[in-house]
Amino acid sequence: MDEEKEMLEYLGLDEVEELFRDIPSEVRDDIDIDEGKTEMETIKYVKDILSKNRSLDEFSNFLGAGIYRHYIPSAVKEIVGRSEFYTSYTPYQAEISQGMLQALFEYQSLICELTGMDAANTSMYDYPTAFAEAVLMAGRVGRGKEFLVPENIHWEKLEVLNNYLRGSDIKIKTVDYDEKTGKIDKDDLQEKLTDDNLGFYVESPNIFGVIEDDTSVFEDLKTDSKSIMIAGTSPLSLTLLEPPSEWGADIVVGDSQSLGIPPSFGGPTVGIFACKKRHLRRMPGRMIGETEDSDGNTAYCMTLQTREQHIRRERATSNICTNQSLMALASACYMFVKGGKGLEEVAKTNYEKAHKLAGKIDKIEGFSAPYFNSLYFNEFTVETPIDSEEVISKGIENNVLAGITLDDKFEKLDSSVLLSVTEMNDESDIDTLIETLEEVVQ
Amino acid sequence: MSHIYRQAKYPNHPLMEKHAEERKIENNPFPESIARKEAPKIPDIPEHEVVRHFNRLSQMNFGIDNGLYPLGSCTMKYNPKYTEDLAASEEVNDIHPYMHEDFIKGTLQIMYELQEMLAEIGGMHSVTLQPAAGAQGELTGLMIIDEYHKKNGESHRNEVILPDTAHGTNPATVSMLGYKLVEIPSKDGCVDLEALEEAANENTAGFMLTNPNTLGLFEEGVIEIAEIIHDVGGLLYYDGANLNAIMGKTKPGKMNFDIMHFNLHKTFSTPHGGGGPGAGPVGVTEELSSYLPVPIVKKEEEKYCLDYDLENTIGRVKGFYGNWSVLLKAYSYIIREGCDGLTDISERAVLNSNYLKARLEGTLDLPYRSLRKHEFVMSGNPLNEKGLKTVDLAKRLLDYGFHAPTVYFPLIVDEALMIEPTETERKETLDDFAEIIEEIMSEDPKMVKGAPYNTAVGRVDETKAARKPIISFRMKEER
Repeated sequence: MDEEKEMLEYLGLDEVEELFRDIPSEVRDDIDIDEGKTEMETIKYVKDILSKNRSLDEFSNFLGAGIYRHYIPSAVKEIVGRSEFYTSYTPYQAEISQGMLQALFEYQSLICELTGMDAANTSMYDYPTAFAEAVLMAGRVGRGKEFLVPENIHWEKLEVLNNYLRGSDIKIKTVDYDEKTGKIDKDDLQEKLTDDNLGFYVESPNIFGVIEDDTSVFEDLKTDSKSIMIAGTSPLSLTLLEPPSEWGADIVVGDSQSLGIPPSFGGPTVGIFACKKRHLRRMPGRMIGETEDSDGNTAYCMTLQTREQHIRRERATSNICTNQSLMALASACYMFVKGGKGLEEVAKTNYEKAHKLAGKIDKIEGFSAPYFNSLYFNEFTVETPIDSEEVISKGIENNVLAGITLDDKFEKLDSSVLLSVTEMNDESDIDTLIETLEEVVQ
Repeated sequence: MSHIYRQAKYPNHPLMEKHAEERKIENNPFPESIARKEAPKIPDIPEHEVVRHFNRLSQMNFGIDNGLYPLGSCTMKYNPKYTEDLAASEEVNDIHPYMHEDFIKGTLQIMYELQEMLAEIGGMHSVTLQPAAGAQGELTGLMIIDEYHKKNGESHRNEVILPDTAHGTNPATVSMLGYKLVEIPSKDGCVDLEALEEAANENTAGFMLTNPNTLGLFEEGVIEIAEIIHDVGGLLYYDGANLNAIMGKTKPGKMNFDIMHFNLHKTFSTPHGGGGPGAGPVGVTEELSSYLPVPIVKKEEEKYCLDYDLENTIGRVKGFYGNWSVLLKAYSYIIREGCDGLTDISERAVLNSNYLKARLEGTLDLPYRSLRKHEFVMSGNPLNEKGLKTVDLAKRLLDYGFHAPTVYFPLIVDEALMIEPTETERKETLDDFAEIIEEIMSEDPKMVKGAPYNTAVGRVDETKAARKPIISFRMKEER
């Protein structure tokens, strides 16, 4: 007798349908999709569709704007592929989940080393949602109602923020950027720091690729206005740049995608969320803490759970539950495999290649690179002598992905594109791009 | 018993503590004023040592590939390996969100077809794939409710009603969007229609429900529930966490829900990754389809493209287009299972659940009526006479190689154990689980109280962790 029959018999039933007798007939409905396939057929079916994609590997790729194509060591993929990790659930039962718990504690520690903050959570969904949650947290920590955001942030980030603030009394006010430098306009920032100010956001590198120097100003402004500072950053750049803790940031957000996670059409990535110790209990999301077991051995567990939805329900700091833990593990593996020195080398290579490319572009008549007279890391804005869309199209003809257009997103900009360079771009990529841009002006 | 489990133990082997001496950064290309002075304390260790470290950690971690994982409401079913294989390909990973649409035709087709299939499974008109998790789906759903009422000039609607059996994310989502929470008590484990009628009024923005509910009971009054809410002008939200119980039997749309989310990492078997990434697509009725976040994927003649042109769109809830590789895995799973497979899945999930429940009756208490769907909640009250609690039983189960059920939820059951075996477990495994619980009930209570013994560490002191939080290596060093 098969086991389903045995179970039905045990229950005193003839048919499995009897277990659904509590579903009223007027709501009954079946599913109208195709019948199932074998595993072999499924693989072929899905692969056939996927083959219509063209991977970045087929192009000279300079796309960035939040998603970057870096080299991922095979060891990282191998570790993340361990099924004890990827088939586990949220580590509610700490005693059998020490592996994931320790790995996530290490991820938190690495993020703290890079950002200079005391504590980090195990992840938010991505950079935009981390940013939005940070503004909501500022509302829990600070006093005023007005939050200042530079007008030159990623447009998707702003949309997400506005949605997350639907139920909040926090009002967003934008701060201009300096049209020469692409940095935040500090005079405008200072002027807008009124009595009702809750806090402000500074991003470096920002959506133009521009890096804020003179960061001590932010700390002064923050102290004078008693407001909360949220800093947005690229973690790889922090191996070379002073960490946001030095500018006086209360909360740091960003994305770990550039550390060991493939572009995969923009998701999954890892939203970075870190803060100062004093704000710990106001943080959203999951945190892993170090503690002891009953024998006094070092052990790890989810901690400060009374901030979270499964305990605190409507008084939780956020509704987030499932996050991006496996991607946080990937980032931790990447950082350990590369090591401190290795990460620094990657960052330097990125810097050098980007600056070399900008120098070459700047020599082409009509182009100006970088567009802004400021420091940058591995991404920069280029002023184009013809319509930026046409530059992108010309690139595609030559198998070059020549960045994204910016002037359609920021109206004060002249025709311009945003280019990103990583260690994956070799000499021939750069030559192909330069040839393409030269063709454009011919 | 053959079930004694042994997890690897590797005491104290931190990697962070192996960091090098404080190190200055040499040849920093950035000017002095802004250059980092001290390098971040990230250790430099040979790759094979890193691999050993993480392999050891993996041996101290328990996944569905290690054994039964009956966490109620989490639907921890086996994650088939072909989806991993497909997701590992270049065509999935090596594509950029801002590539020209001509280069991502495969992705757009898969996303479109997934939208369509999910809409069919849920009885909805349109679907967005953008939300990254179930809780973000809830957030998206309530944003749509907010926008809908605003567009209709009814922004005074500031209350959302929930039953007291709701998942924790529901009330958290309600407050996150600034709504007033109206929680109604259950009657016999289900929504009390009278209480609902009393709570519903002209300020009701919406009502959230999972059906079957968190006790595993099908809300037979669902039609009346929908009428009560719709009559006062509110919208109905379906929390899709428990969809695994009803595929091929009924649909949220058929039950007159207006909005729902799907947990692809539950029902459609994408691995949970120790806490994510998941995916929480949201489906809506035809009336609400213009409110979805943009972009969605549309099909024009034989071409698939990103559509930003939705009249009432709430805008984005997340960067880019959702957790794409998770979407791909769920898509492959649905293709493989088809309508017949999905129906079989729900049937077997419900059979397994009712069988295990019947096996455990007599050992533990079963509050409320008997017939359950994919999960059931028992009370650990019989443990009390031995001086034990549900947590002790949960910890002792770990020694036998079973993950514990969800404990102390839902809140309306004393010493609750919420058990969801899923469809992928054999009868033999369920029998073993039931027998082990019986066995634990007859074990020396003192010993049970000290469990677990066979895991990487003994019972973890969570109170200490919260009292003096150490959240990073640098906080530890400062101690």
